Amino acid sequence: MQCLCMGIAMNKLIDLQNITKAYGDNIVLDDLNLYIKENEFLTLLGPSGCGKTTTLRIIGGFENPDQGNVIFDGKNITKLPPNQRQLNTVFQKYALFTHMTIAENIAFGLKIKKKSKSYIDDKIKYALKLVNLDGYENRKPDSLSGGQQQRIAIARAIVNEPKVLLLDEPLGALDLKLRQDMQYELIRLKNELGITFIYVTHDQEEALTMSDTIVVMNQGYIQQIGTPEDIYNEPTNAFVADFIGESNIIAGTMIQDKLVNILGTNFECVDVGFGKNKPVDVVIRPEDIDLVAPEQGTITGRVTSLIFKGVHYEMEVMANGHEWLVHSTDLSPVGSEVGIHVDPFDIQIMNKPESDDEEAVILDE
Amino acid sequence: MVKKITQKLYIALMFIFLYAPIAVLIVLSFNKSKSRAKWGGFTLQWYKELFANQQIMNALYTTLVLALVSALVATIIGTAASIAMNSMRRSPRTIMMGITNIPMLNADIVTGISLMLIFVAINYTLGFTSVLIAHITFNIPYVILSVMPKLKQTNKSTYEAALDLGASHMYAFRTVILPDIFPGIMSGFLLAFTMSLDDFIITHFTKGPGVNTLSTKIYTEVRKGIKPEMYALSTLLFVSVLTLLILINRTPSEEKINKRLKKKAVQKESNSKFRIFKPAIILIVIAALIVGSFAGMKTTSGKNTLNVYNWGEYIDPEVITMFEKETGIDVVYDEFEMNEEMYSKVETGAVKYDVVCPSDYTIQRMIEADLLAELNYDNIPNIKYIGKDYLQSAEAFDPGNKYAIPYCWGTVGILYNKTMVDEPIDSWSAIFDEKYKNNILMINSVRDAMGIALKYLGYSLNSTDRDELEEATNLLKEQKPLVQSYVVDQVRDKMIGNNAAIGIIYSGEAIYTRRENPDLEYVVPKEGSNIWIDGWVIPKNSENKENAEKFINFLCRPDIALLNFDYITYSTPNTAARDLIEDEDIRNSTIAFPDSATISNCETFKYLGDAMTAYYDDKWREVLSQ
Repeated sequence: MQCLCMGIAMNKLIDLQNITKAYGDNIVLDDLNLYIKENEFLTLLGPSGCGKTTTLRIIGGFENPDQGNVIFDGKNITKLPPNQRQLNTVFQKYALFTHMTIAENIAFGLKIKKKSKSYIDDKIKYALKLVNLDGYENRKPDSLSGGQQQRIAIARAIVNEPKVLLLDEPLGALDLKLRQDMQYELIRLKNELGITFIYVTHDQEEALTMSDTIVVMNQGYIQQIGTPEDIYNEPTNAFVADFIGESNIIAGTMIQDKLVNILGTNFECVDVGFGKNKPVDVVIRPEDIDLVAPEQGTITGRVTSLIFKGVHYEMEVMANGHEWLVHSTDLSPVGSEVGIHVDPFDIQIMNKPESDDEEAVILDE
Repeated sequence: MVKKITQKLYIALMFIFLYAPIAVLIVLSFNKSKSRAKWGGFTLQWYKELFANQQIMNALYTTLVLALVSALVATIIGTAASIAMNSMRRSPRTIMMGITNIPMLNADIVTGISLMLIFVAINYTLGFTSVLIAHITFNIPYVILSVMPKLKQTNKSTYEAALDLGASHMYAFRTVILPDIFPGIMSGFLLAFTMSLDDFIITHFTKGPGVNTLSTKIYTEVRKGIKPEMYALSTLLFVSVLTLLILINRTPSEEKINKRLKKKAVQKESNSKFRIFKPAIILIVIAALIVGSFAGMKTTSGKNTLNVYNWGEYIDPEVITMFEKETGIDVVYDEFEMNEEMYSKVETGAVKYDVVCPSDYTIQRMIEADLLAELNYDNIPNIKYIGKDYLQSAEAFDPGNKYAIPYCWGTVGILYNKTMVDEPIDSWSAIFDEKYKNNILMINSVRDAMGIALKYLGYSLNSTDRDELEEATNLLKEQKPLVQSYVVDQVRDKMIGNNAAIGIIYSGEAIYTRRENPDLEYVVPKEGSNIWIDGWVIPKNSENKENAEKFINFLCRPDIALLNFDYITYSTPNTAARDLIEDEDIRNSTIAFPDSATISNCETFKYLGDAMTAYYDDKWREVLSQ
């Protein structure tokens, strides 16, 4: 499903070059460089205030960058107003025109482009079918559910045949079940339309499910760019590791290549090139920890809490003075003594930031 | 059960408090008798006269045009301002909101005076346009107040969504923002319209000659009593506002019902309604602006004009028409209600009046302040028709008759009910008599009240001797327990309605009250009283002095003076005109025309200077607050 054939056949459709944007003293984006390829589903992922929405708004034309250029299909569109850009946006709060019918909402952009009535009618029919809302032409937006409204917002955008669809946390206001349905719906739509999606969200699960490429952002900087698998399995720093899924992030020391000391015990790993006796951060996913008999574990500990999560149990194990978060389908009762084992390739070593400021690591390509 | 009854009682009381005054007004508008105290039978006469009264119709027209144009312009400016303010960052927006709110919190009188001062400062002629500008100014905050919340409510991304779909800024505003905030704009417009209709104070200060709204028109009539036509007009306004309100409140509920019945049809209809609405608004704006500019043109002073400033209801409108016809001079006519008000307008020069009609002591004050131009008697040959006695009396405030020509005059005396007193009254002693306890209506006016006391004690009513004034004050204090109430205006109605035995009244009013109630008798007490004279003067800054003299000369013509006497019913100093009066009773009425002995026994008020005026005020307050 995911397209991993990076680079070769695909053009850069949008190229953000050295984008800087500040509101007063608050620097939102600092010298950001990013390109988006044609037909890609790219997600900007990060906590609120990370600059993802500002990036999207700069692409949409609602904000002007203080510095840098926005190149679209080879043309510099940095100064072009939104109504002249070949892309459309789906807004977080739907932004439907409440005093118009659904049909009038969808026809809005087409009427501006002076399309013929029959063309517009066909497009409305087609778009409503595409979002599974045939027959809603004469309803008013207020009479629709949140999910339906969001689908109308998408229909309204795509009838204009944009090259790129920008989606600003479009599922943020929906409940969990609906959100999951809509995720599949969006993937289907993207495949049917064959256009580029740029998607903004703070929900890592959403990003992992839908994206071809994820851009993790924090405090105005890009932290990591990669496929969902890359991002999940090989986070480049503690922020990414912490943000994407749950992790045990533990301070450790790289003894030598392929050997790391964690909390006084040496673990085998696969990472090389960190130097000798170097302080590092160690990331271990909770599902990658195997609880074994005490004598078989690298270290031993005692289970301090147990929660049933449906698919798995979530346990906390006190070992070597650290609470280890463990996900497992096997139950170990509270108070029992367990051994902890981690396969070498499940241990992810990351450089320790030298100061707090550097927590947001600048990743130059 | 008890709770229910008290609930209903409470509501009933509320309704009575709210609507009883209006009910009285409506009843009075159908009252045949002019008096507020007597029911003379049902009539529609006042409604007929209302529509025939050109002055009231003009005032109504001005009021409506003013309200409409000012509300429209304020709505446009206010909406634009709201949009700009809404897109500001928070702190400048808060500051801007504060600034625009200030005029709303400011006292009207401060706004009014400062607007007038600025018009004077930039030498802008007060007229229709100055009032219009003033109304737009104070209306804008109300529009902002009702549009802002609507703007805040609108989802900001709908505007961006429209841009995103290819709309230009204007198109996005028209199709997306405007329909959303339209209810706010509409209510802002209605609020502004009502505020404009409602305003008196600001209009009062910024209007020029010849411009009258209903409120200023009614105000100028206070001195001579509000005419029943005004009751009729107020009734009509109340009924039309009520109908409007009912209509506005009924429409949405009907729509709701319709919606349930046939959803689709209503939606289409409401859209088409909006489509019709837009051109209609544009048409109204254009029409109102054209009408407004015409109304404005009328008041601009051309070469051959005359700015007259007179008391309300103090000339037969026919006389002005005749004067315009005979001389070809355009008269711009303006009215005042108080000498002090007139004085300040002439003094500031906000409007350059050509001929003004103040009372005796104010004429003296204006002479002392060098505000008046000397009259050229060569241009006023008709002075010969004015009685020598009156010119002589006028010398008290205008030595040598250099500045003023007497116009109307009268005495202050006692009006008493023959059936309620033992013997004919001929002395001020009656109003200080235990016998008439709670049957005396004392006049609530400093100079008149103090003057009466001084006269009764045998002093001059212009006394500045502190001992004499102390004595007079004590006398008035002693009188207080005997007094039923201190009144000015209501004395007419109370005496007609047999509510009191004795009242203090101006001679001009006495004639009218006697016509309504033949038991009433008027007397100028033997100790002497006040004789007041209103006279025509020409301010120094007049730009049409010759026209002003022509006008004064015209008013002195016996036939014209007679017309005015019939209309105003106050005594005329024009002896030739008096001889023309056909009704013998009136011609020989001792009320209208007392013998010269009575006249020479009376004194005119003099201006006593600011300090003494304040002293009089203090003494009178002492009496009232005792």
